[in-house]
Amino acid sequence: MIKVEKLSKRYGATTAVQELSFQVPKGEVVGFLGPNGAGKTTTMRIIAGSLGATEGRVTLDGQDVFENPREVKRRIGYLPEVPPLYTDMKVRDYVRFAARLKGVDDINGAAEATIDRVGLAPVAHRIIDHLSKGFRQRCGVAQALVHNPEVLILDEPYSGLDPAQRVEIRDLLKELAQEDRTVILSTHVLGDIEAMCERVVILNNGKMVGQGPISELTKVLGGRTINLSVVRPEGLLDTLSAIPGVLKVTPGEAGTISLFTEPGDIREQVAAAAVPYGLLEFSGRQSLEDIFLHLTQQAEA
Amino acid sequence: MGNILAIAKRELRNYFATPVGWLSLCGYILLTGFFFTIFLGFYSEQAATMGFDPYGPAEMNVDEYLVSPFFGNANIILLFLCPALTMRLFSEDRKAKSLELLLTSPISTAEIVLGKYLGALSFVLVLFLGTLHYPTLLFWMGDPDPGIMASCYLSWTMMTACFMAVGLMASSFTENQMVAMILAFGILLMFWLLGWAEGSLGSTGFQGSLKDVLSFVSLVNRTEDMQKGLIHTKDLVYFGSFVAFFLFVTHQRVEAYRWR
Repeated sequence: MIKVEKLSKRYGATTAVQELSFQVPKGEVVGFLGPNGAGKTTTMRIIAGSLGATEGRVTLDGQDVFENPREVKRRIGYLPEVPPLYTDMKVRDYVRFAARLKGVDDINGAAEATIDRVGLAPVAHRIIDHLSKGFRQRCGVAQALVHNPEVLILDEPYSGLDPAQRVEIRDLLKELAQEDRTVILSTHVLGDIEAMCERVVILNNGKMVGQGPISELTKVLGGRTINLSVVRPEGLLDTLSAIPGVLKVTPGEAGTISLFTEPGDIREQVAAAAVPYGLLEFSGRQSLEDIFLHLTQQAEA
Repeated sequence: MGNILAIAKRELRNYFATPVGWLSLCGYILLTGFFFTIFLGFYSEQAATMGFDPYGPAEMNVDEYLVSPFFGNANIILLFLCPALTMRLFSEDRKAKSLELLLTSPISTAEIVLGKYLGALSFVLVLFLGTLHYPTLLFWMGDPDPGIMASCYLSWTMMTACFMAVGLMASSFTENQMVAMILAFGILLMFWLLGWAEGSLGSTGFQGSLKDVLSFVSLVNRTEDMQKGLIHTKDLVYFGSFVAFFLFVTHQRVEAYRWR
């Protein structure tokens, strides 16, 4: 279990992370969510041991990351946002080098198994510099995985990938997450989190603004965005605005309207009000995006 | 120890994976060849003139007039070469973010620093292998003292060990390789010029004391005796402490990456 207690990190006068506390039970997949500069990378680097905290503690099963860096790092695999590649090396040599540094006993065996695992076998003899971004990302995953760690920390694993590569990496990571590993994944793309994570920790300006299972968050927190399209939009805007709980109504093109509501389900009222105007489409699914916007805006206000 | 060797091996291979290594090797052999030819020409000219001098020695000492001056003057190549070889060690790693692999691996900062240092140093030892044809020629054609020759190579190694430690430290302070090189070169040049300054000072009074200080600090002056075949323990201790000091500063600097 990873336990983060009152973690703070200050760079001079700037505070990157402030009094952050959370726990990740063994085997859970947790998503770190937040806008750029929220402190996601800083927190992950501290857990992975490449950055020291100003205050607070991070422990893995009771072992402190700063006090027993060797033991803890052996059990953590970390993929930074920019994969830490030596681009002048061949893929196979690089993975072997990583295996040696991570303290693996059977270096060649572990390297070969990892290369197969992450799908690098066809390019194992090539120089990393000559590979596509997708393969480079795989090299980064290989480096994090070669010592078969219990904990995987993945910082923006999908950034800069094209849609096809994105799907490939996502499938790979999903597989890895299912092998009873504790995974912390950061992203600002909500779909990725919804697809993989059981729980989210939402950060904004270095502070935690919400955490919990996605299903629970959607129930308790945040309004929702309702999109509808009608035949005769004239007059409907005023009717909708009058419904209690509606915060904002934005008309779109060709009879589409989107409205944002307060926490609580008022879909029925909205639908009833829209039917006389010739309701064609209605969608009121609450997404993580809504919660995210709600929480981060709340924190700013 | 395994980790140090793994990092050293990677650094050494990096030199040969890029043109840097091969260019340095060619440049180094070319320049030492230039120096060797000059001193050889000078030596044979002197020897020929001396043959006509009835009061002169029967033959010119090859160690004194060829080996020592050659090794002593070729020092200057290392002054330019070492900063260029060390500038990327930490700078490039930080800029490309690959240092993160080392920092998140279960290895100590000392292992990282020593690994990079030994890797870079061993590359220069490979360069020295490229100069072995000069002694081979001399042994074939003449009768130089093998002890002095070995001592000369030791002086190069010591000097390089010091230069590389300074270069490694400079590289740990910046992500910009150019800045790292200029910084290292500046520091080394200062140590180099101290030796010159010492030579121009008088030996009494304040000048005398200053001279003593400078001659203690100067790096190059300590190689002079070694290139005549004299290995003083105090010089070895000096080189050792010099390297240890700069590696220590580097170590502290790399530790600080985790705290910034």
